Amino acid sequence: MVGLSEYLIVAAVLFSLGVIGLFLNRKNVIAILMCIELMLLAVNINLVAFSHYLNDISGQIFVFFVLTVAACEVAIGLAILVSFYRLRRSIEIEDINTLQG
Amino acid sequence: MANVTFPFPFPDHLITLLPEMIVAVLAMILLLVDLFISKENKVWTAYLAIMAIAAAAVATVQLYPAGSIEAFYGFFVFDPFAAFSKLLIFAATAISIVLSIDYMKDENHVGEYYVLMLFAMLGMMLMVSATNFIILYLGMELMALCIYVLVGYQREVLRSNEAALKYFILGALSSGMLLYGITFLYGVSGSFDYTEMGTALMSADSSSHAAVLLGLVFLLAGLAFKVSMAPFHMWTPDAYEGAPTPITAFMSVAPKVAGFVVIIRIAIDALPAVQDEYMTILIGMAVLTMAVGNLAAIAQRNIKRMLAYSTVGHVGFVMLGVIAGNADGYAGILVYLSIYLIMTLGLFAIIILMRRDGIQGELLDDFAGLSKTRPGYALAMGLFLFSLGGIPFLAGFWAKYAVFIAAVEAGHLYLVLYALLFSAVGAFYYIRVVKYIYFDEARVAFNFSDSRLMQATVAITAIAIVALGVYPDPLMEVCKQALVGLI
Repeated sequence: MVGLSEYLIVAAVLFSLGVIGLFLNRKNVIAILMCIELMLLAVNINLVAFSHYLNDISGQIFVFFVLTVAACEVAIGLAILVSFYRLRRSIEIEDINTLQG
Repeated sequence: MANVTFPFPFPDHLITLLPEMIVAVLAMILLLVDLFISKENKVWTAYLAIMAIAAAAVATVQLYPAGSIEAFYGFFVFDPFAAFSKLLIFAATAISIVLSIDYMKDENHVGEYYVLMLFAMLGMMLMVSATNFIILYLGMELMALCIYVLVGYQREVLRSNEAALKYFILGALSSGMLLYGITFLYGVSGSFDYTEMGTALMSADSSSHAAVLLGLVFLLAGLAFKVSMAPFHMWTPDAYEGAPTPITAFMSVAPKVAGFVVIIRIAIDALPAVQDEYMTILIGMAVLTMAVGNLAAIAQRNIKRMLAYSTVGHVGFVMLGVIAGNADGYAGILVYLSIYLIMTLGLFAIIILMRRDGIQGELLDDFAGLSKTRPGYALAMGLFLFSLGGIPFLAGFWAKYAVFIAAVEAGHLYLVLYALLFSAVGAFYYIRVVKYIYFDEARVAFNFSDSRLMQATVAITAIAIVALGVYPDPLMEVCKQALVGLI
């Protein structure tokens, strides 16, 4: 029987992978967008698991909002990234280095 | 929320959302109207945006006597607290739009710029009225997504793009953490409503304490990010430096107002059960925030970057009001934010004017000798800087006074002494700029062009700073009134 804690553990692992990926990734901004998506999906697993466990629908409603907003977020992130690429001709993390101090 | 019954109580409770509806509808209409405005007349888009804000402000003032009214089964509330903070957000947005008119006049597609500012404002309005984490999240994302785009609005400028990219990545991380925290609080309490969650957490058994703490830590990290508390302030200097200067002004004021209102609401309604725990975290962050903000500002040569760290420092002072946790503390926060809004926007107006003859006018050296050629602006800038430094008897002094006194009343004497220490450090780097203005020789001529609108903005904010410094009582009284019904 798969209980609540199994779902929470999977979500925690996914969330940690997202956060670790965000900080350890030294190569590519696209991978960062994927890490952000991973974090939000972990949140969704948590919400659905709690919602089912509590027998309360509002958690699943929140999931729809999170999914929608995540799509908007990635759209805007990619737009900014495209605009950055046009100027810099690169999406390497180490090339994001104009602002320092 | 479990027993929703039809028919919906429509439409009498929708009056609660009147200011939001006005802004949403007018912003969308403006997006269309803008297509028919020729490039030379784009200034009218700005004027129309300001009129939309004025209409929403009138609606807010009209609704004010209604007291505390709810909509959508308690998802959304309009109370004096929300009304006052909305008026602050309106003022910040309207002044930022005024500051943008000259700055953005050479940009392409400037129409959408003003509409995005209106939508960012709408997001903040939802945030301050939210009494439910779902609405809070949607409002926060509406604000954040618009501001990411606004930061990167100068598409042909590398630093603007880069700032947007950095801000976006860290902002997305923070909203992920916020959501992850909310899920655990939901898991323990079974509700997204602030008050219901607060009640449920009170009676939660001790086995769920770990989950509540986990949720609390992630929630606070996400919120701390939005108001740039250390150690979650890393995005602030980069985003501030790269953004178009009017947007820097906008985001150093309006989102901070919205963020602190949210923190106050959550602290009062949702988290009373874990008050000791979150106070400990907040005190730790406040100690760090004051130190990081004020010390790092000393090393900056770019005034936008310096003001970014100065914002972090001021956020640290405002947090004392949350830590005080009493009515005086919350009123002090509103006083602080109102005064901070006036002096910061006035200062940014002068910084925007400094862009001249192809130089950005953002380095401290660019201000050298301002007093020789432009004594009026030099005086106004001196007033803003002294006020930010908390010199009596300018408005900034009363802002600090209000939160410090409240924190002392709540028994945080040592924390206030620590804050006073860093307040003195802060005064040092503000006064250093005054030294540049009054005692250094000009290296580049000050042949900038200033429109009547900019002159009026600087004059009005400077007069307000002096007037509030001499006579702060009315503002303090209004801020106290705004808390009626909240606690």
